[in-house]
Amino acid sequence: MKKIIPFLFILHSLTGRTQTGFSDSSRYIELKEVTVPVKNGSSRQQLVRFVRTGQAASLEDIMSRIPELNLLRRGSYGMEPSIRSLSSGQINVLIDGMRIHGACTDKMDPPTIYIEPVNLDRMEVQTGNHGFLHGSAIGGSINLAVASPSCHAVSKISGLFSSGYQSAAQAFYESLQLNYAGPRWSLLGSITGRKAAAYRSGGGDKVAFSQYEKINYSLSAIYQYNPQTRIKLDFIGDNGWNISYPALPMDVGYAAAGIASVSLEKENPLKKITRWRVKAYANQVRHYMDDTHRPNVPMHMDMPGKSQTAGLYSDGEIRLNSRQQIRFTADLSLTYLKASMTMYQTGQLPMYMLTWPDNRKDQAGAGASWQWQADSNWSLRATARIDLVNYTLRSQEAKDHISILGFPDAARSGFLKNISFGATRRISPVLKTNASIGWAERMPTASEYYGFYLFNAQDGYDYIGNPDLRPEQSLLGELNMTVQGKKAEFKLGGFYQYIRRYIMGRINTSYSSMTIGANGVKTWEALPYAILTGIEASLVWKPVDEVSLISTLRYTYGKTNKGEALPMIAPLKNLSALRYQPGRVFLQAETEQASRQQRYSLAYGEDATAAYTLLHVRSGYSFSLWQKKTDLQAGIENILDKKYHEHTDWGNIPRPGRNFYMQLLMRF
Amino acid sequence: MKKPVLILISFALLCVLVFLSACGKDTAENNPTAGLTKVAEGYAAGAAAKVELYTKETTLTSGYTRFYVALYDSVSGNRIDEAHISLTPMMDMGSMTHSAPYENPVSENAEKHLFPCSVTFIMSSMGGSWTLKLNVHNHLNNKEGSLTLPLTISEPVKSRQKSFTASHNGAKYFISLITPSAANSKVGINDFEIAIYKKASMMSWPADSSLTVSLTPEMPTMGHGSPNNVDPVHTGKGHYKGKVNFTMTGLWRLNLDFMSGGSVADTTQYFDVEF
Repeated sequence: MKKIIPFLFILHSLTGRTQTGFSDSSRYIELKEVTVPVKNGSSRQQLVRFVRTGQAASLEDIMSRIPELNLLRRGSYGMEPSIRSLSSGQINVLIDGMRIHGACTDKMDPPTIYIEPVNLDRMEVQTGNHGFLHGSAIGGSINLAVASPSCHAVSKISGLFSSGYQSAAQAFYESLQLNYAGPRWSLLGSITGRKAAAYRSGGGDKVAFSQYEKINYSLSAIYQYNPQTRIKLDFIGDNGWNISYPALPMDVGYAAAGIASVSLEKENPLKKITRWRVKAYANQVRHYMDDTHRPNVPMHMDMPGKSQTAGLYSDGEIRLNSRQQIRFTADLSLTYLKASMTMYQTGQLPMYMLTWPDNRKDQAGAGASWQWQADSNWSLRATARIDLVNYTLRSQEAKDHISILGFPDAARSGFLKNISFGATRRISPVLKTNASIGWAERMPTASEYYGFYLFNAQDGYDYIGNPDLRPEQSLLGELNMTVQGKKAEFKLGGFYQYIRRYIMGRINTSYSSMTIGANGVKTWEALPYAILTGIEASLVWKPVDEVSLISTLRYTYGKTNKGEALPMIAPLKNLSALRYQPGRVFLQAETEQASRQQRYSLAYGEDATAAYTLLHVRSGYSFSLWQKKTDLQAGIENILDKKYHEHTDWGNIPRPGRNFYMQLLMRF
Repeated sequence: MKKPVLILISFALLCVLVFLSACGKDTAENNPTAGLTKVAEGYAAGAAAKVELYTKETTLTSGYTRFYVALYDSVSGNRIDEAHISLTPMMDMGSMTHSAPYENPVSENAEKHLFPCSVTFIMSSMGGSWTLKLNVHNHLNNKEGSLTLPLTISEPVKSRQKSFTASHNGAKYFISLITPSAANSKVGINDFEIAIYKKASMMSWPADSSLTVSLTPEMPTMGHGSPNNVDPVHTGKGHYKGKVNFTMTGLWRLNLDFMSGGSVADTTQYFDVEF
């Protein structure tokens, strides 16, 4: 007997998707409406229903509530995810396994903006030691698995309409999803629009240049060739305009992304290769920055950027026997980037330069993860991956730019090696521990190699690429412990990461800054090493069926080889939610607390960030309207109207103040 | 089955390559004045030679000007590739006349049928009239003659010619920008070349190699410079060569400081290049 429970967006498992009982820090967060047994599963499954505050929540809202993730915020849109304080080229951010690179030199467009939660099947966050399976990276992976159309023996059409409003930014959200399910063919289409005005921060002040508008559309088609085999076509389009970034000197006039793929998927639990998939994909992002609406612009400039990626990958699972299985992947990709800047001064010729001299990154890699359930108390896991990466400049113009920096030949290649081992031991029926150690490497990014006077608004320096950089390397140890009771689960984890050749900007006094008003020029250099260490803890308690309590705690400490603080490290942070759900109604109270951050990177233009405590309340009601399943949700975020910002917010721009929201969801 | 196909393809590729490279050579050899502009011509009567004067630019402007002289037998019209040419530029300002720096052809043998030489016009025709006298010793018939060509020199959009009175010795120096120009500049590393002449008398403008030069480019509208420039050093005959880096297009100011040993000659000169 199964029953669909609407609005139950569940953290499927704290400990990984597989049944071998691992207890490392990988997280698979199911965001789709899922079919679960009536009995509502273990307390563990309750953990992150609070991850999703509602249907209108953006992916950024969801990410901000996952303990391991942080968001580097430059505006109310386009926040850049970081895993345990590592971001950008240090982590993989994949869409359905696909690589996609932003077209903005200022990182205004992380790939996460292209996925609306309505299209998201689940989010796979893999920290640390097994996070490099899908790409050489020292900080783990975020994979956004995109929703597939559902199949049905009898043709039927179903749909989902949702609408939301938030008061702080006078933001509207409208979304329509249609699914045609047939015995052979099925289709899933969606369209989502968002429009937000400049929001008001705590205390009532409007934050100028924080508005945005966007539309996102997707189409997915499946052809079920036979019960085990299917062919899938996917397209996601995303257009944004009038997107403002209060922490940056420019906005985005227009941004467009197209993401397309075709895949062949095979699944047969009875065979040795239980799951196998091959996918070919291509995507393009175009990005046009705009300063025409800003006051006091010393000189108007255009900054267009383009990114194109094409790739091929294959992954799958092999079950060697009932105790051993292997996940494997092999992939290759080509990423082309080009961005330029043109400044205009009346009476003079335009000033034009390449900010990303056109370059291409070619990557080919393969990896595998082996899991062995040795006995009922021990399980082991080993993961390895290698990557060949080659960077080239694609035009004489690009080579001429980089030759100025002293590199007549700037083509670079690298061979990256990653390996890790982990063991999980069940000490008693309630206590489980996991330990792992791993070595990982990552290639410098195109910006770090070839960036040409890229202005960083946080520290006020122009950044210059350095083709002499060598791959960053990491040695990471992790220890986790899980106490699993009947009504409660407690998890505590710690990690220690030694990062060799940590890449950071260093002031270069022999260069003069290009950007008017900049403090100077920094060149990307490798520190001998840096250290990142931290703890993460979570508690789920379900004393009775109607009540659940969830609390997460996170602390990260980072230092350079000289003992200075690393930039963009969030302080001690706690999220707690108490939920009461007697039936069709639920009520939820939340607190969000961060301590004062006094360890900050002066070199990176940071300052101390004050502590804050926020209160939120949420409620929901499920009912039938014209015999359609309907949900209504409403809540107040930041009830105390606290004026605050997080340490990882650029420019100390205050976050939204008291925010009333309301959401409606109808299924048909 | 597969091998013959591969051999055929590689043979075809080879043919294409040979054909393409053969083509490329042809055009360069054919016409030595392709891409040049003829600015004057006349007969050097005593030498039985027709003289044609070419430049890379379409108009003559004040500053260092490279000329290419083509000589033809005035009867047969055949090219004369062996001759000794010497130049005398003159400026007639009415009340006074003066010459200007110049460089005679280095060799008595033409390179690619042309005799390269240069004149540095230190002013435009606004102040008077320029003439260029060419004395030609035709080695084919061992005859000698000369001709005087009037030239109109206009002001360039951005000055290529500067002068200063040196503070260390009171002498007047003339600085000519040879490269870069608006036409050949690019974002990247650019060759930088100037020529320095000293005014010894109205008729004598020898090349100078006594100064050391430092180069500091900047964008006046942006207030920034560029990294990794190479100061020009003397390479011969008053020519100083270095490298200038442009990080973007637009208006660049190339500031020049001149030193004589430890003492300052001048620090006020600059050339503007806009591309």
